[in-house]
Amino acid sequence: MSPQFVDFDADGQLDIVAGIFDGSPHLVRGSAKGWGAPEQILDRDGQRIVGNAFWNFDAKKWDETDRCDPPGHKPAKKGLLTSAVALDLDGDGDFDLVLGDHYTGAVFVRRNEGTATAPKFAVKNEVLHADGKPIDVPGTVATVRLVDWNGDGLQDLACGSMGDPYGTAAGGGVFLFLNVGSKSKVEFGEMQTLLATSMKGATAPTRPDVGLHPDFADYDGDGDLDMVVGGYSLWSPPAVVLTAAQEDRVKVLRAEAAELDEKSSTIHKAIIAATKGLDKEAAAARRSELLAEKKDALSALSKQRQVVRKELDPMVPGAKRESFVWIYENLAVGPADRPAQPR
Amino acid sequence: MRLHDLSLLVCAALAVAQSPNFAPPVRLMAGEVHLGEARLYPSPVFHDLNGDGAADIVVGDLRGHLTVAHRKGASSPAVYASEEKVLGADGKILDLQNW
Repeated sequence: MSPQFVDFDADGQLDIVAGIFDGSPHLVRGSAKGWGAPEQILDRDGQRIVGNAFWNFDAKKWDETDRCDPPGHKPAKKGLLTSAVALDLDGDGDFDLVLGDHYTGAVFVRRNEGTATAPKFAVKNEVLHADGKPIDVPGTVATVRLVDWNGDGLQDLACGSMGDPYGTAAGGGVFLFLNVGSKSKVEFGEMQTLLATSMKGATAPTRPDVGLHPDFADYDGDGDLDMVVGGYSLWSPPAVVLTAAQEDRVKVLRAEAAELDEKSSTIHKAIIAATKGLDKEAAAARRSELLAEKKDALSALSKQRQVVRKELDPMVPGAKRESFVWIYENLAVGPADRPAQPR
Repeated sequence: MRLHDLSLLVCAALAVAQSPNFAPPVRLMAGEVHLGEARLYPSPVFHDLNGDGAADIVVGDLRGHLTVAHRKGASSPAVYASEEKVLGADGKILDLQNW
Protein backbone atom coordinates (compact mmCIF):
# COMPACT_ATOMS: atom_id res chain seq x y z
CA MET A 1 0.00 0.00 0.00
CA SER A 2 2.73 2.52 1.03
CA PRO A 3 0.66 5.66 1.72
CA GLN A 4 2.10 8.90 0.35
CA PHE A 5 1.35 12.09 2.25
CA VAL A 6 1.10 14.80 -0.37
CA ASP A 7 -1.12 17.79 -1.21
CA PHE A 8 -2.63 16.02 -4.19
CA ASP A 9 -5.47 18.47 -4.86
CA ALA A 10 -3.49 21.65 -4.15
CA ASP A 11 -5.82 22.89 -1.41
CA GLY A 12 -3.06 23.46 1.14
CA GLN A 13 -3.82 20.29 3.10
CA LEU A 14 -1.95 17.02 2.91
CA ASP A 15 -3.83 14.11 1.39
CA ILE A 16 -2.98 10.42 1.20
CA VAL A 17 -2.29 8.74 -2.14
CA ALA A 18 -1.99 4.97 -2.11
CA GLY A 19 -2.18 2.11 -4.54
CA ILE A 20 -3.93 -0.85 -2.99
CA PHE A 21 -4.45 -4.47 -3.86
CA ASP A 22 -7.66 -3.89 -5.83
CA GLY A 23 -5.38 -2.65 -8.63
CA SER A 24 -6.16 1.09 -8.55
CA PRO A 25 -4.73 4.25 -6.97
CA HIS A 26 -6.77 5.78 -4.17
CA LEU A 27 -7.00 9.19 -2.55
CA VAL A 28 -7.89 10.18 0.99
CA ARG A 29 -8.43 13.92 1.11
CA GLY A 30 -7.18 15.77 4.14
CA SER A 31 -8.93 18.79 5.61
CA ALA A 32 -8.89 20.76 8.83
CA LYS A 33 -11.45 18.25 10.13
CA GLY A 34 -9.28 15.22 9.36
CA TRP A 35 -9.23 12.49 6.75
CA GLY A 36 -12.14 12.11 4.36
CA ALA A 37 -13.54 8.88 2.94
CA PRO A 38 -11.16 7.03 0.59
CA GLU A 39 -11.98 7.40 -3.08
CA GLN A 40 -10.59 5.94 -6.28
CA ILE A 41 -8.57 8.26 -8.49
CA LEU A 42 -10.33 8.10 -11.85
CA ASP A 43 -9.21 8.97 -15.37
CA ARG A 44 -10.56 11.88 -17.44
CA ASP A 45 -13.49 9.72 -18.57
CA GLY A 46 -14.42 8.75 -15.05
CA GLN A 47 -13.03 5.23 -15.46
CA ARG A 48 -10.92 3.39 -12.96
CA ILE A 49 -7.17 3.61 -13.43
CA VAL A 50 -5.91 0.04 -13.66
CA GLY A 51 -3.34 -2.11 -15.38
CA ASN A 52 -4.94 -5.32 -16.53
CA ALA A 53 -6.13 -7.21 -13.48
CA PHE A 54 -8.42 -5.49 -10.98
CA TRP A 55 -10.96 -6.38 -8.36
CA ASN A 56 -14.42 -5.82 -9.79
CA PHE A 57 -16.44 -4.44 -6.89
CA ASP A 58 -19.75 -4.79 -8.78
CA ALA A 59 -19.25 -8.40 -9.84
CA LYS A 60 -17.31 -9.18 -6.64
CA LYS A 61 -14.62 -11.05 -8.51
CA TRP A 62 -11.21 -10.51 -10.10
CA ASP A 63 -11.51 -9.12 -13.59
CA GLU A 64 -9.22 -8.17 -16.45
CA THR A 65 -9.07 -5.52 -19.15
CA ASP A 66 -6.75 -4.30 -21.90
CA ARG A 67 -8.34 -0.84 -22.21
CA CYS A 68 -5.49 0.93 -20.38
CA ASP A 69 -2.59 -0.75 -22.16
CA PRO A 70 -0.14 1.60 -23.87
CA PRO A 71 -0.65 1.55 -27.65
CA GLY A 72 1.28 -1.34 -29.13
CA HIS A 73 2.19 -2.66 -25.71
CA LYS A 74 2.34 -6.44 -25.68
CA PRO A 75 3.28 -7.40 -22.15
CA ALA A 76 4.49 -10.94 -21.57
CA LYS A 77 2.39 -10.91 -18.44
CA LYS A 78 -0.66 -8.91 -17.49
CA GLY A 79 -0.29 -6.23 -14.84
CA LEU A 80 -1.81 -5.51 -11.44
CA LEU A 81 -1.06 -1.98 -10.25
CA THR A 82 -0.97 -2.10 -6.46
CA SER A 83 1.30 0.84 -5.61
CA ALA A 84 1.14 4.52 -6.56
CA VAL A 85 2.85 7.83 -5.91
CA ALA A 86 2.03 11.31 -7.17
CA LEU A 87 4.89 13.07 -8.96
CA ASP A 88 5.00 16.00 -11.36
CA LEU A 89 6.87 14.33 -14.21
CA ASP A 90 6.77 17.19 -16.67
CA GLY A 91 6.98 20.26 -14.46
CA ASP A 92 3.56 21.54 -15.47
CA GLY A 93 2.54 22.15 -11.88
CA ASP A 94 0.24 19.18 -11.41
CA PHE A 95 0.71 15.66 -10.20
CA ASP A 96 0.99 12.72 -12.53
CA LEU A 97 0.82 9.19 -11.17
CA VAL A 98 3.59 6.60 -11.02
CA LEU A 99 2.20 3.09 -10.67
CA GLY A 100 4.01 -0.13 -9.73
CA ASP A 101 3.10 -3.50 -11.19
CA HIS A 102 2.77 -6.26 -8.62
CA TYR A 103 2.80 -8.98 -11.30
CA THR A 104 5.94 -7.81 -13.17
CA GLY A 105 8.89 -5.48 -12.67
CA ALA A 106 7.28 -2.73 -14.73
CA VAL A 107 6.39 0.76 -13.61
CA PHE A 108 3.76 2.80 -15.44
CA VAL A 109 2.75 6.44 -15.61
CA ARG A 110 -0.61 8.19 -15.89
CA ARG A 111 -0.22 11.74 -17.15
CA ASN A 112 -2.37 14.46 -15.68
CA GLU A 113 -3.76 16.35 -18.65
CA GLY A 114 -5.70 18.72 -16.41
CA THR A 115 -4.50 20.95 -13.62
CA ALA A 116 -3.43 20.62 -10.03
CA THR A 117 -6.90 21.46 -8.72
CA ALA A 118 -8.84 19.73 -11.51
CA PRO A 119 -6.80 16.70 -12.55
CA LYS A 120 -7.69 14.82 -15.71
CA PHE A 121 -5.72 11.64 -16.01
CA ALA A 122 -4.99 10.06 -19.36
CA VAL A 123 -6.92 6.93 -20.26
CA LYS A 124 -3.80 4.92 -21.10
CA ASN A 125 -0.81 3.85 -19.06
CA GLU A 126 2.67 4.77 -20.26
CA VAL A 127 5.65 2.51 -19.67
CA LEU A 128 8.18 4.30 -17.47
CA HIS A 129 11.76 4.10 -18.67
CA ALA A 130 15.09 4.36 -16.85
CA ASP A 131 18.40 4.66 -18.64
CA GLY A 132 16.51 4.39 -21.93
CA LYS A 133 14.92 1.04 -21.12
CA PRO A 134 11.59 0.05 -19.60
CA ILE A 135 12.00 -0.30 -15.86
CA ASP A 136 12.18 -3.93 -14.84
CA VAL A 137 12.51 -4.30 -11.09
CA PRO A 138 13.95 -7.69 -10.08
CA GLY A 139 11.33 -9.71 -8.27
CA THR A 140 8.23 -7.69 -9.36
CA VAL A 141 7.20 -4.39 -7.81
CA ALA A 142 5.95 -4.39 -4.24
CA THR A 143 5.91 -0.62 -3.99
CA VAL A 144 7.12 2.65 -5.49
CA ARG A 145 8.44 5.49 -3.32
CA LEU A 146 9.93 8.93 -3.89
CA VAL A 147 13.09 10.15 -2.21
CA ASP A 148 15.68 12.81 -2.94
CA TRP A 149 18.47 10.32 -2.39
CA ASN A 150 21.38 12.45 -3.58
CA GLY A 151 20.12 15.79 -2.29
CA ASP A 152 20.00 17.50 -5.68
CA GLY A 153 16.46 18.76 -5.18
CA LEU A 154 14.99 16.21 -7.61
CA GLN A 155 12.75 13.34 -6.66
CA ASP A 156 14.33 9.95 -7.27
CA LEU A 157 12.36 6.73 -7.55
CA ALA A 158 12.85 3.81 -5.16
CA CYS A 159 11.18 0.46 -5.67
CA GLY A 160 10.78 -2.36 -3.19
CA SER A 161 10.30 -5.76 -4.75
CA MET A 162 8.24 -8.79 -3.89
CA GLY A 163 10.54 -11.71 -4.61
CA ASP A 164 9.24 -15.25 -4.41
CA PRO A 165 6.75 -14.88 -1.54
CA TYR A 166 6.65 -18.50 -0.37
CA GLY A 167 9.12 -20.63 -2.33
CA THR A 168 12.88 -21.04 -2.32
CA ALA A 169 13.62 -18.67 -5.24
CA ALA A 170 15.18 -15.28 -4.50
CA GLY A 171 13.33 -12.84 -2.31
CA GLY A 172 12.90 -9.10 -2.72
CA GLY A 173 15.26 -6.13 -2.61
CA VAL A 174 15.25 -2.34 -2.79
CA PHE A 175 16.29 -0.50 -5.93
CA LEU A 176 16.90 3.14 -6.78
CA PHE A 177 16.56 5.13 -9.98
CA LEU A 178 18.19 8.54 -9.68
CA ASN A 179 16.42 11.41 -11.38
CA VAL A 180 19.01 12.56 -13.91
CA GLY A 181 16.62 14.95 -15.61
CA SER A 182 15.27 18.21 -14.28
CA LYS A 183 12.20 19.55 -12.50
CA SER A 184 10.56 20.22 -15.85
CA LYS A 185 11.41 16.81 -17.27
CA VAL A 186 11.96 13.86 -14.97
CA GLU A 187 14.32 11.24 -16.39
CA PHE A 188 15.54 8.25 -14.47
CA GLY A 189 19.02 6.79 -14.73
CA GLU A 190 20.17 3.22 -14.49
CA MET A 191 19.00 1.04 -11.64
CA GLN A 192 21.11 0.95 -8.48
CA THR A 193 20.76 -1.61 -5.75
CA LEU A 194 20.16 -0.26 -2.27
CA LEU A 195 19.41 -3.65 -0.79
CA ALA A 196 20.21 -6.83 -2.71
CA THR A 197 17.52 -9.45 -3.19
CA SER A 198 17.31 -11.91 -0.35
CA MET A 199 18.78 -15.37 -0.85
CA LYS A 200 16.68 -16.59 2.12
CA GLY A 201 17.85 -19.66 4.05
CA ALA A 202 18.47 -17.93 7.40
CA THR A 203 17.98 -19.73 10.71
CA ALA A 204 16.68 -16.59 12.41
CA PRO A 205 14.93 -13.42 11.26
CA THR A 206 17.83 -11.35 9.94
CA ARG A 207 16.21 -9.10 7.32
CA PRO A 208 13.02 -8.58 5.33
CA ASP A 209 13.04 -11.34 2.72
CA VAL A 210 9.89 -10.89 0.66
CA GLY A 211 7.37 -8.14 -0.04
CA LEU A 212 9.77 -5.27 0.65
CA HIS A 213 8.21 -1.84 1.26
CA PRO A 214 10.88 0.84 1.87
CA ASP A 215 10.77 4.47 2.92
CA PHE A 216 13.48 6.96 3.79
CA ALA A 217 14.20 9.64 6.38
CA ASP A 218 17.01 10.83 8.60
CA TYR A 219 15.97 8.48 11.39
CA ASP A 220 18.91 9.17 13.68
CA GLY A 221 19.49 12.84 12.86
CA ASP A 222 23.02 12.40 11.55
CA GLY A 223 22.36 14.13 8.25
CA ASP A 224 21.96 11.17 5.95
CA LEU A 225 18.99 9.13 4.82
CA ASP A 226 18.22 5.91 6.63
CA MET A 227 15.87 3.31 5.24
CA VAL A 228 12.89 1.68 6.89
CA VAL A 229 11.61 -1.51 5.25
CA GLY A 230 8.46 -3.50 5.92
CA GLY A 231 8.18 -7.08 4.75
CA TYR A 232 8.17 -10.73 5.65
CA SER A 233 11.11 -12.54 7.14
CA LEU A 234 11.46 -16.21 6.30
CA TRP A 235 13.61 -18.47 8.39
CA SER A 236 14.00 -22.06 9.52
CA PRO A 237 15.16 -22.45 13.10
CA PRO A 238 17.89 -25.05 13.55
CA ALA A 239 16.80 -28.55 14.50
CA VAL A 240 16.74 -29.31 18.21
CA VAL A 241 18.52 -32.35 19.66
CA LEU A 242 15.84 -34.16 21.62
CA THR A 243 16.11 -36.43 24.63
CA ALA A 244 14.46 -39.86 24.44
CA ALA A 245 11.61 -38.57 26.59
CA GLN A 246 11.11 -35.59 24.29
CA GLU A 247 11.10 -37.85 21.24
CA ASP A 248 8.35 -39.92 22.84
CA ARG A 249 6.41 -36.78 23.65
CA VAL A 250 6.78 -35.53 20.08
CA LYS A 251 5.24 -38.77 18.81
CA VAL A 252 2.27 -38.34 21.14
CA LEU A 253 1.77 -34.71 20.17
CA ARG A 254 2.00 -35.45 16.46
CA ALA A 255 -0.62 -38.16 16.84
CA GLU A 256 -2.87 -35.72 18.71
CA ALA A 257 -2.36 -33.10 16.00
CA ALA A 258 -3.21 -35.63 13.28
CA GLU A 259 -6.37 -36.66 15.14
CA LEU A 260 -7.48 -33.04 15.49
CA ASP A 261 -6.79 -32.40 11.80
CA GLU A 262 -8.85 -35.46 10.89
CA LYS A 263 -11.80 -34.28 13.00
CA SER A 264 -11.69 -30.86 11.39
CA SER A 265 -11.40 -32.36 7.93
CA THR A 266 -14.41 -34.62 8.57
CA ILE A 267 -16.57 -31.61 9.43
CA HIS A 268 -15.51 -29.74 6.28
CA LYS A 269 -16.05 -32.78 4.07
CA ALA A 270 -19.56 -33.22 5.51
CA ILE A 271 -20.35 -29.59 4.71
CA ILE A 272 -19.11 -29.99 1.15
CA ALA A 273 -21.17 -33.17 0.74
CA ALA A 274 -24.29 -31.40 2.06
CA THR A 275 -24.02 -28.65 -0.56
CA LYS A 276 -23.30 -30.91 -3.50
CA GLY A 277 -25.82 -30.62 -6.30
CA LEU A 278 -27.13 -27.23 -5.14
CA ASP A 279 -26.82 -24.21 -7.38
CA LYS A 280 -24.09 -21.68 -6.55
CA GLU A 281 -26.20 -19.34 -4.42
CA ALA A 282 -28.01 -22.10 -2.56
CA ALA A 283 -24.72 -23.89 -1.93
CA ALA A 284 -23.17 -20.72 -0.51
CA ALA A 285 -26.18 -20.13 1.74
CA ARG A 286 -26.22 -23.74 2.98
CA ARG A 287 -22.46 -23.68 3.53
CA SER A 288 -22.77 -20.54 5.67
CA GLU A 289 -25.59 -22.16 7.63
CA LEU A 290 -23.62 -25.33 8.31
CA LEU A 291 -20.44 -23.44 9.17
CA ALA A 292 -22.43 -21.42 11.71
CA GLU A 293 -23.77 -24.66 13.19
CA LYS A 294 -20.28 -26.11 13.47
CA LYS A 295 -18.59 -22.87 14.51
CA ASP A 296 -18.12 -23.88 18.16
CA ALA A 297 -16.82 -27.35 17.27
CA LEU A 298 -14.34 -25.96 14.74
CA SER A 299 -13.24 -23.25 17.14
CA ALA A 300 -12.64 -25.83 19.88
CA LEU A 301 -10.55 -27.95 17.51
CA SER A 302 -8.55 -24.91 16.48
CA LYS A 303 -7.80 -24.02 20.09
CA GLN A 304 -6.72 -27.60 20.85
CA ARG A 305 -4.40 -27.52 17.83
CA GLN A 306 -2.85 -24.30 19.10
CA VAL A 307 -2.14 -25.93 22.46
CA VAL A 308 -0.50 -28.91 20.77
CA ARG A 309 1.49 -26.65 18.44
CA LYS A 310 2.69 -24.51 21.34
CA GLU A 311 4.24 -27.54 23.01
CA LEU A 312 5.47 -29.15 19.81
CA ASP A 313 7.07 -26.11 18.18
CA PRO A 314 10.08 -25.65 20.50
CA MET A 315 10.98 -29.33 20.01
CA VAL A 316 10.29 -29.49 16.27
CA PRO A 317 10.48 -25.93 15.04
CA GLY A 318 8.91 -25.41 11.65
CA ALA A 319 9.69 -22.84 8.97
CA LYS A 320 8.68 -19.30 9.97
CA ARG A 321 7.19 -16.49 7.93
CA GLU A 322 6.41 -13.33 9.87
CA SER A 323 6.07 -9.67 9.03
CA PHE A 324 8.15 -6.94 10.64
CA VAL A 325 9.42 -3.43 10.04
CA TRP A 326 13.20 -3.00 9.94
CA ILE A 327 15.44 0.06 10.13
CA TYR A 328 18.62 0.19 8.05
CA GLU A 329 20.82 2.88 9.53
CA ASN A 330 22.92 4.60 6.89
CA LEU A 331 26.48 4.67 8.22
CA ALA A 332 28.17 6.46 5.37
CA VAL A 333 27.92 9.93 3.99
CA GLY A 334 30.03 9.69 0.87
CA PRO A 335 30.43 11.10 -2.58
CA ALA A 336 27.45 10.73 -4.84
CA ASP A 337 29.36 8.86 -7.48
CA ARG A 338 30.54 6.10 -5.16
CA PRO A 339 28.80 2.86 -6.21
CA ALA A 340 26.10 1.43 -4.03
CA GLN A 341 27.19 -1.27 -1.63
CA PRO A 342 24.51 -3.95 -1.65
CA ARG A 343 24.37 -6.12 1.43
CA MET B 1 -1.73 17.10 7.75
CA ARG B 2 0.17 20.37 7.65
CA LEU B 3 2.38 21.09 4.70
CA HIS B 4 5.50 21.69 6.78
CA ASP B 5 5.38 18.00 7.68
CA LEU B 6 6.36 17.19 4.14
CA SER B 7 9.94 18.07 4.93
CA LEU B 8 10.08 15.23 7.42
CA LEU B 9 8.77 12.81 4.85
CA VAL B 10 11.50 13.17 2.32
CA CYS B 11 14.15 14.80 4.48
CA ALA B 12 15.33 16.66 1.41
CA ALA B 13 16.67 19.55 3.43
CA LEU B 14 19.04 17.29 5.30
CA ALA B 15 20.00 15.00 2.50
CA VAL B 16 23.48 15.28 1.14
CA ALA B 17 25.16 13.38 -1.63
CA GLN B 18 25.62 9.93 -0.27
CA SER B 19 25.91 6.26 -1.01
CA PRO B 20 24.43 3.49 1.07
CA ASN B 21 26.49 1.78 3.68
CA PHE B 22 23.77 0.34 5.83
CA ALA B 23 24.29 -1.19 9.24
CA PRO B 24 22.71 -4.61 9.72
CA PRO B 25 18.97 -4.09 9.99
CA VAL B 26 17.19 -3.91 13.30
CA ARG B 27 13.54 -4.74 13.90
CA LEU B 28 11.64 -1.72 15.16
CA MET B 29 9.44 -1.96 18.20
CA ALA B 30 6.14 -0.20 18.79
CA GLY B 31 5.44 -0.33 22.49
CA GLU B 32 6.20 -3.87 23.61
CA VAL B 33 5.75 -5.61 20.26
CA HIS B 34 7.47 -5.56 16.92
CA LEU B 35 6.21 -2.84 14.61
CA GLY B 36 4.18 -4.34 11.77
CA GLU B 37 4.07 -7.79 13.32
CA ALA B 38 1.19 -9.97 12.09
CA ARG B 39 0.24 -7.38 9.44
CA LEU B 40 -0.23 -8.43 5.83
CA TYR B 41 2.63 -6.87 3.89
CA PRO B 42 3.34 -3.90 6.17
CA SER B 43 4.34 -0.74 4.30
CA PRO B 44 5.91 1.81 6.66
CA VAL B 45 6.36 5.49 5.85
CA PHE B 46 7.85 8.27 7.93
CA HIS B 47 5.38 11.07 8.60
CA ASP B 48 4.76 13.44 11.48
CA LEU B 49 1.08 12.65 11.87
CA ASN B 50 0.48 14.50 15.14
CA GLY B 51 2.50 17.58 14.22
CA ASP B 52 4.85 17.45 17.20
CA GLY B 53 7.91 17.83 14.97
CA ALA B 54 9.00 14.18 15.21
CA ALA B 55 8.58 11.72 12.36
CA ASP B 56 6.12 9.01 13.33
CA ILE B 57 5.82 5.81 11.33
CA VAL B 58 2.55 5.19 9.51
CA VAL B 59 2.10 1.59 8.42
CA GLY B 60 -0.26 0.53 5.66
CA ASP B 61 -1.06 -3.06 4.84
CA LEU B 62 -2.61 -5.24 2.19
CA ARG B 63 -6.02 -5.11 3.88
CA GLY B 64 -6.08 -1.34 3.37
CA HIS B 65 -5.67 -0.39 7.01
CA LEU B 66 -3.37 2.33 8.37
CA THR B 67 -1.80 2.47 11.80
CA VAL B 68 0.56 4.98 13.33
CA ALA B 69 3.36 4.45 15.83
CA HIS B 70 4.07 7.85 17.34
CA ARG B 71 7.68 8.68 18.06
CA LYS B 72 8.18 9.30 21.77
CA GLY B 73 10.60 12.11 22.57
CA ALA B 74 13.78 12.76 20.66
CA SER B 75 15.95 9.95 21.99
CA SER B 76 18.28 8.04 19.71
CA PRO B 77 17.59 5.32 18.82
CA ALA B 78 13.99 6.37 18.37
CA VAL B 79 11.31 4.95 20.64
CA TYR B 80 7.82 4.40 19.25
CA ALA B 81 4.54 4.04 21.08
CA SER B 82 2.17 1.15 20.39
CA GLU B 83 0.46 1.25 17.02
CA GLU B 84 -2.90 2.97 16.83
CA LYS B 85 -5.42 2.80 14.02
CA VAL B 86 -5.58 5.94 11.89
CA LEU B 87 -9.08 7.36 12.05
CA GLY B 88 -11.07 9.40 9.58
CA ALA B 89 -12.80 12.72 10.25
CA ASP B 90 -15.92 10.72 11.10
CA GLY B 91 -14.11 8.96 13.93
CA LYS B 92 -14.21 5.63 12.15
CA ILE B 93 -11.18 3.56 11.19
CA LEU B 94 -9.71 4.73 7.90
CA ASP B 95 -10.16 1.77 5.62
CA LEU B 96 -9.03 1.61 2.00
CA GLN B 97 -11.00 -1.52 1.28
CA ASN B 98 -9.45 -3.85 -1.22
CA TRP B 99 -12.34 -6.16 -1.89
